[in-house]
Amino acid sequence: MRARTRYIVPLALAALVTAACGESGSSGTGGDDGGTQASGEACAPVAGEQLVVLEDDQELQNADNIIPAVNAAAAQANPALLPALNAVSAELTTDELIEMNAAVDVERQSAEDVAAAWVEENGVTEGLEQGSGPIVVGGANFTESTVLATVYADVLQAAGFDATVQEVGNRELYLPALQRGEIQVFPEYLSTLTEFLEGDDANQVASGDVQATVEVLRPLAEEGGLAIGEPAEAADQNAFAVTQEFADELGVSTLSELAEACGDGSLVLGGPGECPTRPFCQPGLEETYGLEFASFEEYDTGGPLTKAAIQQGEVSIGLVFSSDGALAQG
Amino acid sequence: MLAVDAAPNPWFDPSYVIDNWSSIMGYLGEHVRLTVGAVVLGSLLALPMAVLARRSRYLAAPVLGLSTLVYTIPSLAMFAFVAPITGLTATTVLVGLVLYSLVILVRNFLAGLQGVPEDVREAARGMGYGPVRLFWQVELPLALPAFMAGIRVATVSTVALTTVGVIVGHGGLGQLITGGFNANFYRAEIVTGALGCVLLALLADLLLAGVERLLTPWTRRAVA
Repeated sequence: MRARTRYIVPLALAALVTAACGESGSSGTGGDDGGTQASGEACAPVAGEQLVVLEDDQELQNADNIIPAVNAAAAQANPALLPALNAVSAELTTDELIEMNAAVDVERQSAEDVAAAWVEENGVTEGLEQGSGPIVVGGANFTESTVLATVYADVLQAAGFDATVQEVGNRELYLPALQRGEIQVFPEYLSTLTEFLEGDDANQVASGDVQATVEVLRPLAEEGGLAIGEPAEAADQNAFAVTQEFADELGVSTLSELAEACGDGSLVLGGPGECPTRPFCQPGLEETYGLEFASFEEYDTGGPLTKAAIQQGEVSIGLVFSSDGALAQG
Repeated sequence: MLAVDAAPNPWFDPSYVIDNWSSIMGYLGEHVRLTVGAVVLGSLLALPMAVLARRSRYLAAPVLGLSTLVYTIPSLAMFAFVAPITGLTATTVLVGLVLYSLVILVRNFLAGLQGVPEDVREAARGMGYGPVRLFWQVELPLALPAFMAGIRVATVSTVALTTVGVIVGHGGLGQLITGGFNANFYRAEIVTGALGCVLLALLADLLLAGVERLLTPWTRRAVA
């Protein structure tokens, strides 16, 4: 879908070269006299190619770190299983996840090649406890899950298992299959899995604190016939991105700094339609960080529309996913 | 426009097909197996149902009604219902496809059997044909064009429906279609899957048309 924006974006940018150049120029000079105005333009959108995520320093978002979920019986029967998957968790960072997603989604490399390259580079297969027997690693059918499942399978293969990858649709289907032991391993997301197993939508048990959420998840997983490994640093969760130019101009790298720099209420927020009502989005930003928005623009959920809107300078800040390939540093 | 250099994303990319030949063939094989299995099993089930439905109007209504009712279940929901029983296997998809093929097959089989003129059956009975011989030697040949029409429609529709099996990871060429969508709209992958389905459906229809010609030589002679 982002491919479509590749055609739209240059066209729009071509239009913006005339419009936006003048605009950013005026916003540059506007920044000087903007200080004297009551409703300034200090945080008006700035167009740019490179997207950067502002750190969620007050943990507004639930921690959706990558965590291996394993069928409990399989984990017990194969003591080498979880250590091998934890070796992946120990090395995997969000930046690497972004790069792998970009390699598949943007550069069109195959998920197998990208996963194999990561395993090779990070030396996660060295000194692994050896096991044996067939292991089916499940992966949901989107790029990141496929890549992660393939990484798991590669590492398990190196640990002596006969690992294969099976793609499956959604959590409602694959989690029961994992619990029944039809598949033995799945690359899961910490908070999403926790909330799914907990089952009560109204009751929030996951949080932005990784360790605290793992503590909540462990007994839930045990109850559900699952064993979980260690969470990776890598996370795929809601995040708020701005253009590099915008961040540089204001000198901000965290949402708290943004709140400080943008007291004049000139921020324009972009995100999914439910953003103005969901606690993780606009209300959360306003209450947790004290941000004020001039307006909200409705786009998709961390998809091509939102990303294009940030890049084109339609919005100052937008909701994205933290491991999106579009965040790769060129 | 992305920071990472984007690879070109053409609709047709022979190098994609060449690079992924073995996995494409794997998906194609699964697609063919599921389609053939569903239509064969569906036909085996539909035939007794149609024979039963022809017996009386009171039986026809529930048999046709049931198969139509099954057809109204959304395919995504169907696979989700079956999955807890048969798991994330190709069997799940097969069960769904067989159930869906029934509505087309039972109706066409029934129409074919009902299309056999009563006086022809009367004459056969008069010549001493028992019910089994009557069915195999008189009714089946006469109903064959309607049977084959049903099987052809069911086959083409099954080729298309198989793609929904992606939700349990056994969607044949559908894996390529969803895979392409979820890999940032990888057109070469989507088109390979979609075009593969179209070609497979056309080829299957053509093959069945040939089979029909071979099985019913008298229809051609009659026309000529």
